[in-house]
Amino acid sequence: MFLVAAIAALGIWNYQRLPIDAVPDITNVQVQINARAPGYTPLETESRITFPIESEMGGIPGLKEFRSISKYGLAQVTAVFEDGTDLYFARQLVNERLQGVRESLPPGVDLEMGPAATGLGEILMYVLEADPDARKPDGTPYDATDLRTIQDWSIRPQLRQVPGVSEVDSIGGYAKQFHVLPDPARLLSYGLTLNDIETALQANNGNIGAGYIETNGEQNLVRVPGQLRGIEDLRNVVVASRNGVPVRIGDVADVAQGRPLRTGASVLGTKQTVLSTAYMRVGENSRTVSLAVSQKLEQISKSLPKGVHAITVYNRTDLVNRTIATVQKNLLEGAILVLVVLLLMLGNVRAALLTAMVIPLSMLMLMTSMVQTKVSANLMSLGALDFGLIVDGAVIIVENCIRRLAEKQRHMGRLLTTEERLHEAFAGSREVFTPSLISVLVVILVNLPLLALTGVEGKMFRPMALAVILALLAALVLSLTFVPAAVALVLRGKVEEKENFIVRGARRLYQPVFAFAMRRRLPIAVAALLLVIGCGFLTTRMGTEFIPQLDEGDIVILVARIPGIGLEQAVSMQEGLQAALQKHPELKLVYSRTGTNDAATDPMSPSETDTFFILKPRKEWPDPNKSKAQLLADIDATLATVPGMLYEFSQPIEMRFNELIAGVRAALAVKIYGDDFETLERLSQRAAALIRGVPGAEGVKAEPIGGLPTLTISPRLETLARFGIPQASLQQTISTAVGGTAVGQIFEGDARFDVVVRLPEHLRTSTSALERLPIALPGGSFVPLAELADVRLASGANQISRENGKRRVVVSANTSGRDLGSFVKDVQAKLERDLKLPPGYYLGYGGTFEQLQSATERLSLLVPITLLMIFLLLMMTFGSPVEAALVFSGVPLALTGGVVALLLRGIPLSITAGVGFITLSGVAVLTGVVMVSAIRSRLEAGEDIDTAIREGALLRLRPILMVALVAALGFLPMALNTGTGAEVQRPLATVVIGGIISSTLLTLIVLPGLYRMVRGFRRRREKVEAELTVEPDHAG
Amino acid sequence: MKLKLSFLFFLAPLMLVACGGSSPEAAKEPAEASEEPSEAHLSLTAEQLKAAGIGLETAGPAQIREVLPLYGVVAPNAERVRDVAARFPGVIRSVDRKLGDTVRQGDLLANIESNESLQVYAVRSPISGVISARNANPGEQTGDKPLFVVVDLSTVWVELSLFARDAAKVKAGQSVLVKSPVAEFSAQGRVTYVGPFGNSNQALTARVEVPNPDNRWAPGLYVTGEVTLAQKSAALAVRSSAIQMIEDRPVVFVQSNGQFRTHAVTLGKTDGERTEVLQGLSVGDIYAAANSYVIKAELRKSEAEED
Repeated sequence: MFLVAAIAALGIWNYQRLPIDAVPDITNVQVQINARAPGYTPLETESRITFPIESEMGGIPGLKEFRSISKYGLAQVTAVFEDGTDLYFARQLVNERLQGVRESLPPGVDLEMGPAATGLGEILMYVLEADPDARKPDGTPYDATDLRTIQDWSIRPQLRQVPGVSEVDSIGGYAKQFHVLPDPARLLSYGLTLNDIETALQANNGNIGAGYIETNGEQNLVRVPGQLRGIEDLRNVVVASRNGVPVRIGDVADVAQGRPLRTGASVLGTKQTVLSTAYMRVGENSRTVSLAVSQKLEQISKSLPKGVHAITVYNRTDLVNRTIATVQKNLLEGAILVLVVLLLMLGNVRAALLTAMVIPLSMLMLMTSMVQTKVSANLMSLGALDFGLIVDGAVIIVENCIRRLAEKQRHMGRLLTTEERLHEAFAGSREVFTPSLISVLVVILVNLPLLALTGVEGKMFRPMALAVILALLAALVLSLTFVPAAVALVLRGKVEEKENFIVRGARRLYQPVFAFAMRRRLPIAVAALLLVIGCGFLTTRMGTEFIPQLDEGDIVILVARIPGIGLEQAVSMQEGLQAALQKHPELKLVYSRTGTNDAATDPMSPSETDTFFILKPRKEWPDPNKSKAQLLADIDATLATVPGMLYEFSQPIEMRFNELIAGVRAALAVKIYGDDFETLERLSQRAAALIRGVPGAEGVKAEPIGGLPTLTISPRLETLARFGIPQASLQQTISTAVGGTAVGQIFEGDARFDVVVRLPEHLRTSTSALERLPIALPGGSFVPLAELADVRLASGANQISRENGKRRVVVSANTSGRDLGSFVKDVQAKLERDLKLPPGYYLGYGGTFEQLQSATERLSLLVPITLLMIFLLLMMTFGSPVEAALVFSGVPLALTGGVVALLLRGIPLSITAGVGFITLSGVAVLTGVVMVSAIRSRLEAGEDIDTAIREGALLRLRPILMVALVAALGFLPMALNTGTGAEVQRPLATVVIGGIISSTLLTLIVLPGLYRMVRGFRRRREKVEAELTVEPDHAG
Repeated sequence: MKLKLSFLFFLAPLMLVACGGSSPEAAKEPAEASEEPSEAHLSLTAEQLKAAGIGLETAGPAQIREVLPLYGVVAPNAERVRDVAARFPGVIRSVDRKLGDTVRQGDLLANIESNESLQVYAVRSPISGVISARNANPGEQTGDKPLFVVVDLSTVWVELSLFARDAAKVKAGQSVLVKSPVAEFSAQGRVTYVGPFGNSNQALTARVEVPNPDNRWAPGLYVTGEVTLAQKSAALAVRSSAIQMIEDRPVVFVQSNGQFRTHAVTLGKTDGERTEVLQGLSVGDIYAAANSYVIKAELRKSEAEED
């Protein structure tokens, strides 16, 4: 008893430490390496940056694969490690290699690793907003640059210190920069070049310490300040001297606060803003961290300038709380239902409460073991817990003990002494020890194959199976130790074994049914067999899905525009889109991010926008009963009116998982590896055409490679030589002119802002102006750029994807109307035959069909093995294959009920439903075990077979009904609930309930008949055999 | 036993089916509002046009001024520069004007005592202008050098550097807008002469004569000049913002019967603002002028796959 109390206390303590999240984390172990290369086009990024990084990655231990994308200004290499590799160890390994790469990269490339976060890492997003009448100290209103400055230099440094936060990253707004915009004509008139400006600014912006001097015993430090402090200082920097007159920056250039060439933007409502995301470190408790972040944010908000607010737009805690509330509600309601059933059926308050005690106790033990095994509490891991199953073992024991205690009391005609009670409890427990043990073991056993799942399914279902197994083990230990002892201690006084009206009613109802079943046993057995076959046939007709998608409550609209769209154009179109979305009354707020964020966790092109559609709580909707599907249809109608984009619906976590895991989301991805773009493009088009010809192919798409308009300025080497201009200096001039060159920083307190030399906007934005760009000659005169180089606008590579060190292009396809396996085979055969690959080009296949195959293979191997193990377990128990088979017959019968229940509710088959079936087969065996062992013990007591069967069936009606009812009712809330996350659990619960109903009914009706048939047959045979040899069956 | 076996056979396919479920889920296509083949037409309502900021205009004739911006230097008008020398060698007795003084034609510049006749004679300015050099001080002997240089800056020359690629386009008589890069002033002039010889820069010189009433065009000043190469009335022109490139070819989106269609066009001259259309469009066509990119995006959106 003390031990139990101690375990409970430990459980409560551990409950506080249990990491809680909405869904299991299905991200693989990966390290992202982001290299920022300002101004580099995809092609240059690939050859100068991506390739050196990739070639260093080879041979890292545990590395499963690596892939990369090279885009404008960004190279991202993702190294995926074997499951189970420690992320920090992996990062360490990658980091070691990066040290070596750094030297071989061109200067100015910024190389770093992505945040140590997973797909569940984006726990909190906030935007900054300024009141329209808020004014800066200088009287001007706040703009996107000011907000960005506030984010970067006052909020971010503080938030990053919150424990558990790995990174705080922003997108949108404009990082403040100081721009020096030289006028080429004015430069010419002073005989200066862009390079002179850069040199001057670099040489005139720095403080220096110059040691110290000792004067009269005193130490004086020497410093020579020279740090520029602002626009005025910049203007006054001297570039050159002409006849003793200094030429200042201000004479040849405009100096102003400017905006960088950014790669991402964000829009809140219809206005541009700064959107920041707090990433949680891997392995942290999302609830704790997001709570800490939002508290800190609130605190920071108070210190922000007047009129500027940080508004939390997405908070993971909401979802976690909602989901956990659903799970809790399900579990609580299940527990109450179980308790009610126990009360009604046992008719003994103490016994019922005692049995129900097993629930919280095993839960607390589960908490402890979950913390130990680092399984997080979430929708999946707690979702499959059924208190009915947990108490099943205890129910059998308590029921039998009560029965025996009551009998004994009646027999003795007085109250029992403690010793007698203990004795009876012990005997009672022993009597049903086998069924009770078996019941739990079987359910544990059926969950074992789930542990063998790998990949995404493994990450989804392993914690669940683990939680169920742990909880059941806890329950098993309790019901074999704590429960009998407690029964003896608690059930003092007069133990009334009331056959209450329900049990009596059930029995009265069952008797004629039983009699009928015994008479017509053959037809009934045949009917049952037909039913099983019929349902087996039905399953092939059912719709299927992988895993029911968790409804996260918020919507993400993934918007895709045409490749090559400019960021500002995309943003202005996005503003129009969001204005249209705002008319939806269910909308709380809408915000979006376009392009790539600073940390490049999700490198999107400017053509891609994630639009977050955050919903109001349901009760604030004009029609609180509107279904999600209806809402999506409404939004879809709105989106259809906005031209210029494609869109797709997703959800925040779902989207993030998709981004991180796959890369390819189609059922089949044919990857063509090779070197030359044009060849790859041609091959991919050809492959797509071939695949379209395979029956069942649908949505065949060849990944577009090109489409990014690229202005190519190719120097004419001969002309350059004639003018004596080194090519590098021409390239540098163009890079400064168009992209700008950072030449230093200006400090404002902690904040530091880049000083950038760049051509004025009107000169760098048009091709013809660029062609006229004067290039200084060594002699002091100039020549226009067009004389030195060919300027040509053409479509270039948009994004270069590589995998395992080779360029690749993907042709993706889905299927309809035929199974994936044979489709994939056909496609492979066709491509082998008809797609002529030049040397050095090869094919690879990927896509979800891989996961599907591996999961299917594993399960189709493991499930039969498990079933065999159950069978063996039963055989060991009963010592007879026939009886084991009889008990086993409950399984297919149970499955019929599960199938019918799914059909009735219109729920498609899914892995979750499959898991339900697995659980079900465990429960189905249970009822059979109870009945068969009762019959057997009667037979062994020497009763004749018909009496034994009748007595066994009727006597065990109560435990059978109880076991079935508690298991079914425990899942009932789960099947009916509509809260957040309910849709994930629904199939599982539905299957179990339907299956239990059918299996119980069929066990009661079919099993006795079958038993009679088999026994009858065997009896006859045994009689013959017994004369010759000792009956082996009864030896054990 | 039979039952068990049949169950095994039953459950295995069941699991296969259950796991085989991901294909329809993964097969979820982007929810397309209306599937449009890329060359097809597109209809947008007035509200949609307004929301997307697409402006409509009618194609018609326009004046198109094709310009060529060049860099150049202000130089004195060589025809209006006078070296004033002493007619007879002698001693300079007095000098009346300082460097930079404005003089009129006939104004006294200096008095010189002739060595031969010992007569003092006056040196007068041959033109109105500014003294740009003075090599004369009282008491000095006159030499070979001119005593004064008088420059008439009422007109100046702007010498524009003309590089090979543009040389053929510029001819005498074309009008030029000369702008100062430093201060905001400009002047109109004409190309008077295109030098036939190249300089060391590989550049030819195009000379523009510019009036300089306020003396703002100081010689030596670097300026920019926009040469109007052609000024023609195009029979048909559209706003340059209407032109989009599809597959490296220019197109204009024309609205008829409420639908936009892609018209491939051949372009003529442009002045940045408007562009002449030689082919592919007719007068009176209503086309998308402002924010035409949205239409391109809509028509070509099937290309916008997720990366």
